[in-house]
Amino acid sequence: MRPDVMLDVEQFLFREAHLLDERRFQEWLGLLTDDIRYWMPTMGRYYGASTKAFAPLERDQPERPEFSDENELAILDETKDSLARRIARLDSGMAWSEEPPSRTCRFISNVIVDESDTNAGLIVRSNFILYRTRGELERDFYVGSRQDVLRSDGGGWKIAYRKILVPQNVLAAKNISNFF
Amino acid sequence: MNVDIHTLVDSDQGLVGRAVHIDPQIYEREGGMIFARCWMYLCHESQVPRPGDFCTAYMGEDLVIVWRDTQGTVRAFLNVCRHRGNRLCRADSGNAATITCPYHGWAYGNDGGLKGVPHQQAYRGELDKERWSLISVAQLDIYKGLIFATFDASAPPLREYLGEMAWYIDAIFDRRDGGVEMLAGVHRWVVPCNWKVPAENFCGDSYHGPWAHGSAMSAGFSARRPRPRDIERFHLYPGNGHCVMGRQPDDASDSPEVVVYEREVRAEVRARLGPRLDLVRPVVGTVFPNLAFVRGTANSIRVWHPRGPGSTEIWSWLFVDKRAPASVKEAVRLAGLRSFGPGGTFEQDDIDNWQECTQSARGTVSRRQMLNLQMGLGNERFDPELRAWTSDFCLSESNQRYFYRHWARVMEGADWSSLTAREVPQ
Repeated sequence: MRPDVMLDVEQFLFREAHLLDERRFQEWLGLLTDDIRYWMPTMGRYYGASTKAFAPLERDQPERPEFSDENELAILDETKDSLARRIARLDSGMAWSEEPPSRTCRFISNVIVDESDTNAGLIVRSNFILYRTRGELERDFYVGSRQDVLRSDGGGWKIAYRKILVPQNVLAAKNISNFF
Repeated sequence: MNVDIHTLVDSDQGLVGRAVHIDPQIYEREGGMIFARCWMYLCHESQVPRPGDFCTAYMGEDLVIVWRDTQGTVRAFLNVCRHRGNRLCRADSGNAATITCPYHGWAYGNDGGLKGVPHQQAYRGELDKERWSLISVAQLDIYKGLIFATFDASAPPLREYLGEMAWYIDAIFDRRDGGVEMLAGVHRWVVPCNWKVPAENFCGDSYHGPWAHGSAMSAGFSARRPRPRDIERFHLYPGNGHCVMGRQPDDASDSPEVVVYEREVRAEVRARLGPRLDLVRPVVGTVFPNLAFVRGTANSIRVWHPRGPGSTEIWSWLFVDKRAPASVKEAVRLAGLRSFGPGGTFEQDDIDNWQECTQSARGTVSRRQMLNLQMGLGNERFDPELRAWTSDFCLSESNQRYFYRHWARVMEGADWSSLTAREVPQ
């Protein structure tokens, strides 16, 4: 990947995180394509194929992936419309989980940029830490990774796909009320 | 134990002492009186379909493994090695003939029996493996695909424990041939509230909806509901601590795809469930103590696992009619996860309220206060068609009063014959 593209993509992700930290949600929404899929699967924990922890009874058990699949349960599975409605909810003055709002600080790192095989845009992987405080002593760390597809519409990058993986089998936070 | 439950729950006056949500002694007593005695929900049968299939669960704070044995019988055991108390199975689910403890290698079969002990000669022939099987639940039974168990051998059979609640469970989980199936995946998260706060909410807290969920409703995360024509029959108490909230029978507060589907299957569902379906649409409920369901905005079944007086681990699954078409299942999936669960626009506002209703009781003076559950006090009546006690208005706290009255009886150690004495007339 060309260094100038790398730099451009990184700056885009940093500015996006900045918009979210500043709760400029309408501007953030403008960075998403109209056909975005924005989703966060659930996690489970299963023994791997080489485990000695058990002896199987049925030999043809498929190995289950740790994260749920596209047609299964997810923590978030959003379109641009449902994200817009989530933002409208936050702006209603009655979204009690964010009233008063939480404060966030996002760290984006480990950015890897690849061309897609199908010319659909850039495949961008990154890691994140989302630190959230709320109320008096409430603190949450959401640490995970993202897989994005970025497309350029001439006026800059837009996010066409985002998969968010938070590797917590039981989520330690009381909710997911922020964007990732 | 010097906690006097009598002084904490006065259901005749609609008063509940705040200590019930925060007192460590009460929490400790709930372990023995409620979670080690009542029938507890473990999982759905579709999660362990084949011989050898297992999934892990909790009964209170006790680790449990649900395991279908080689012969096909569903069993449940403490998920704890008998040797040194290690957690036996570390996975959520799988399929096994035997599972081996990671510490010293004791291996147990799917009938719970101790099958293998490494270096057994060290016991000089004095280890009786028959005596050291996994600790089994005292009773296990399945109702309409829902697997329940109790650690109390003297508890009444599950069907008797459910009593008149059974029909309301049918109306959620057995509407069509084949019943329901669970979507793969589970929401699990930890919330800083007492387990009874969500339990009483799911008894049918009609009052909080428009205000607590105003933001989710105005943003279109649930269909706008027509004003109810029938103002009675919203809060239903079929006895034994179980509670249901209903809406008018023609309520259509589902996703558009589901509204069309419901119209198509109405006759079939009606034939299966009978004329009671013409009177009410059950939408929310609590099976005492800590199983809850909602059907409509989301189709969710969930357990409030206690984690100390001020903490609850929620496990929530989405369910769909097994025979529903794929497009309806997808609509149910999306509507469900966008409204309930950790990212749910409804549930996250609930959680903030449940949290602060619990944590504010930590203050010594706050803890001495009584909560007000007086709405509609004295206006309940028995409805013979619904086989339940009902409120006379679409807003009432009658079910919360019934819930805490039953909780107090169980906590006081009432025997099973009086706990399941028919509150519902014949």
